[in-house]
Amino acid sequence: MADALAKSGFIGNQAAHPAKPMTIFKRPTAKTGLVGWLTTVDHKKIGMLYGGFAICFFLIGGLEALMIRTQLIVPNNHFVSARLYNELFTMHGTTMIFLAVMPLNAAFFNLLIPIQIGARDVAFPRLNSFSLWVWVVGAILLNVGWLSHFVPSWKFGGAPAMGWFGYAPLTSKQFTPELATDFWVLGLQVLGVSSIVASLNFIVTIINLRAPGLTMMRLPVFTWMSLVTSFLLILALPAIAIALIFVMFDRNFGTNFFEVSGGGQPILWQHLFWVFGHPEVYILILPPMGYVSEILPTFSRKPLFGYPIVVFSGVAIGFIGFGVWSHHMFTTGLGTVATAAFSLATMAIAVPTGVKIFNWIGTLWGGRIVTRVPMMFALGFIWMFMMGGLSGIMHSAAPADAQQQDSYFVIAHFHYVLIGGATFALLAAIHFWFPKFFGRMVPEFWGKVSFWLIFVGFNCTFFPMHFLGLNGMPRRTWTYDSNMGWNEGNLFASCGAYLLGIGIFTYFAVLVYSFFKGKLCGNDPWDARTLEWSIPSPPPEYNFTAIPTVHARDAWWYEKTHQEEIAKEKAEHIKAEEAHGGIHMPDQSWFPFIAASGLLIGAYNFAQLRLPVTILGNQVLATHVPLAITGVCILLGACYFWALEGPAGYHIHLDANGNPIESEASHH
Amino acid sequence: MTRTRLVHQKATRFATALLAGLGLALLTGCSLADVFSLNGKQSTVNVAGPVAQSQQDLFMVTVWVTTFIFVVVGAVLAYAQIKFRAKSEADEHAVPPAEAHGNPLVEIGLIAASVLLLVIIAVPTIRGIWYTHDVPEDEKGNAIEITATGYQWWFKFEYPTETIKLPNNAGEIPLVTGNELVIPAGFPIRVQLRTTDVIHSFWVPKLAGKVDMIPNRGNFIWFKADKPGYYYGQCAEYCGDSHAIMRFRVIALSPVAYSKWLENQKQPARSVTAESLAAEAGVAHAEFASLKTGTGSALSGSVEFDADPLGAWQTAQNHEAGEDPALIAKGRQLFQDKTCISCHAVRGHEGIGITGPDLTRVGARSTIAAGVLENTHQHMHDWIKDSNHFKPGNKMWFGGFNLLEEGEWKPNPKMKLDDQEIDALVAYLHSLK
Repeated sequence: MADALAKSGFIGNQAAHPAKPMTIFKRPTAKTGLVGWLTTVDHKKIGMLYGGFAICFFLIGGLEALMIRTQLIVPNNHFVSARLYNELFTMHGTTMIFLAVMPLNAAFFNLLIPIQIGARDVAFPRLNSFSLWVWVVGAILLNVGWLSHFVPSWKFGGAPAMGWFGYAPLTSKQFTPELATDFWVLGLQVLGVSSIVASLNFIVTIINLRAPGLTMMRLPVFTWMSLVTSFLLILALPAIAIALIFVMFDRNFGTNFFEVSGGGQPILWQHLFWVFGHPEVYILILPPMGYVSEILPTFSRKPLFGYPIVVFSGVAIGFIGFGVWSHHMFTTGLGTVATAAFSLATMAIAVPTGVKIFNWIGTLWGGRIVTRVPMMFALGFIWMFMMGGLSGIMHSAAPADAQQQDSYFVIAHFHYVLIGGATFALLAAIHFWFPKFFGRMVPEFWGKVSFWLIFVGFNCTFFPMHFLGLNGMPRRTWTYDSNMGWNEGNLFASCGAYLLGIGIFTYFAVLVYSFFKGKLCGNDPWDARTLEWSIPSPPPEYNFTAIPTVHARDAWWYEKTHQEEIAKEKAEHIKAEEAHGGIHMPDQSWFPFIAASGLLIGAYNFAQLRLPVTILGNQVLATHVPLAITGVCILLGACYFWALEGPAGYHIHLDANGNPIESEASHH
Repeated sequence: MTRTRLVHQKATRFATALLAGLGLALLTGCSLADVFSLNGKQSTVNVAGPVAQSQQDLFMVTVWVTTFIFVVVGAVLAYAQIKFRAKSEADEHAVPPAEAHGNPLVEIGLIAASVLLLVIIAVPTIRGIWYTHDVPEDEKGNAIEITATGYQWWFKFEYPTETIKLPNNAGEIPLVTGNELVIPAGFPIRVQLRTTDVIHSFWVPKLAGKVDMIPNRGNFIWFKADKPGYYYGQCAEYCGDSHAIMRFRVIALSPVAYSKWLENQKQPARSVTAESLAAEAGVAHAEFASLKTGTGSALSGSVEFDADPLGAWQTAQNHEAGEDPALIAKGRQLFQDKTCISCHAVRGHEGIGITGPDLTRVGARSTIAAGVLENTHQHMHDWIKDSNHFKPGNKMWFGGFNLLEEGEWKPNPKMKLDDQEIDALVAYLHSLK
């Protein structure tokens, strides 16, 4: 047994450090308060920060959507200007993808993966904190342009307005001279850094920190899907990173990658963008497939049907997802052979996706379906995702797609996938795991009210859009004339959007209420199946009093049915771990946060490198170069001291019952 | 009855009330049929040419296959949801069902069935890709070549085979029009797609799906109009501020009418004098409804116009009744003095610019501002006066009527126009037929 324990990574193998590490700060120890949150390396706190920020941006993105729907509620409307409308749809897309759904998934990666694999934290806790703060930097850079609408002296030219897809040459200095575009380029670049760092962290964590006995084919499906997603991220993001560097060089240093007059090829941007952009779709939807694969078995009270096939189909989606990007480009004149190839590949990817749906239905079959709120959202997910998937098959028929592409039909399709799919699953997940991390239940009745408002509102908004698209209404249009036959569909969709807005507001208002007043709950309020339900709600900082040994898929379900055996095993583990010096916990650190701050200062000033710095109308510096260099120095300096301060850490000791008695700073 | 059951019933009642309320709102507000209408001017379902028809046929194959999948899978899902639902509190906490982990035969069977269904879509897809790509071999001889060029935010159309001899043997130029593409019905049309700035997309839903106009790339599209008609098109790739109002029309004429139209187009711009008007006495003049203020809220076509757009277009080809040669001459002078000529060409008159649309026959177009405004006197007046209101960010406003000085847009004194002057310009432009 001790052998198995030694493999778990947190115990043993701790080489003695030769000298006292060099640092400029005392390691922070505050667990609460501002310092506690800024310096935390606890994966649960980082997850909550990701989640909190992401929900804020989700609501901002929703508000942008409501403004879009208000502009379109009647023809020839002047509620917002054309320019502002274009900023709104650009930022709605960018926000929902990069600042809402991706970080919400990241929040669940952080909250769940270490616990589901029976670990005490991620492999690189400080790097995890760095990912979070770098993500915040990216979010600030993307949104900083809005400020110029409120503070006229900030001449950023408003928010970016060239679409979330930023098709060249619209991103060239000739067509969008505003700083907003430079901020968008840098913001996305920075977000990419955050995602790559986080993905590497999770890949290493999932592969190396699994509890003894947790073989790959016993991994919870959510963790599996997160692993696939992390690989997709590290493989897909470099493509857009390169494309963004090209744009940055074209804009600032006179290169001609996309510059038409210099012989550049705007079509190259589209290929690079969608080589990232299509896997991105699966980056958004695979983790939600994971949530649903956890929630359905719990509330059907039986294991997931066809676990290996669900896992393999997830991996297959990941692979094929890299071979279908040009189906976003069927109208760019690819030629017959390329169009046919991408058409067929796109049809092929429908098979593993369909397989998942069959297996979810198989999970329900013969079960005992308990319709709690998370289950309702999960079932809603299956229905809505099925519709989004089927309209996706319609798009794979390239000649038919020539009529649908860039019309409202596409908007309907991908909102069925991203709201009906990803968002429904996320709302299911938030409701499902809320009790675990806050120790309180969300009231059923109000949860169900919000479900029905969201479900009905969502369908009223997006179902008519299929028809608007088939009736020839193009997307990204600020206005439309009243004689096109689109008036009623748009009015209906806008009313649906308000209903959806009320539903989303209700959902989050109920969460806020539950945070303060929800009924307290125990370890396992849903009678669930995976390891996170074996520990207290909210979980202690060290997660497990003893690293569990996994004997089966649905490890906690097995523990519940083999209590005696597990209790004996656990007592042994606690003893063994104590013999190794107790529970080892990582130390907090200032440097990830400081490094990210340096990145913010550097990137913010780099975007406006050649402009003079003015304070209250007076020019103080000829260019932003000194400030940009300062930011880079802070970033590099922080990384340097980060490396030197060492991981350090401290031990927590447990008494015979598994309760912590004291913690002690480690002296290596 | 336990508390959870009660909560569930309350929630179900709420959902029912929500749906009922919504249904009621629908009945009173607008009729459902209009929400799901597919009979619009840019319908991809109600089509008018073989390319769009083949795309529509393929779409219907995908509709039937996916509907079949949805009905079958949905029925199984709905059955499972109802049949296996926990019936009571006790049921929820009863001994869980047996731990079944899957069934390879079921899985393989379902995968095979999915693949088969996809093949039904794949075969016509492949056929459609080749058919829609280019004019079929046996029709190539009849094909009419046209070049369409996208600008922010309007379309230029050139007829490379319809050339016009310049005076003094100065060479030949192709016929150029703007925003209204006139074609013969029944002939395959092959359009070369070009752009001068950003990416645009050429889309006339009733005739064919879109193909993009991409810089440094030689795309093309082909289509055919079965019958004479007036078809609506629009840029379908986001191209900046006024992308939403970058529209155009395709007017399909009978081959005879088309030749007549071409012949007239190739003439130099029309000059109106008292003598020329006297010579026209007895010729039918346009007194069509669209020249007066039409009814309805649409900017691009009044109710009267929309009742018969092709008829309205044909009427617009006729010279207007009550033309005033003095006012037209004043307008022509203003067109020079206010520097309009440096951006707009009026072939045979003073205009030589190429930045904006060719205005040689602007009076005979049914719309102005790239399909945005019906071509009435009032609209032309409003457009010249405040084009930024109708097309935000346009170059006539930013760079013409206003110039950039020290980072601020300031009115251009050379282009200052009062209402009388605008009226003269409108009279001149409307005389160009």
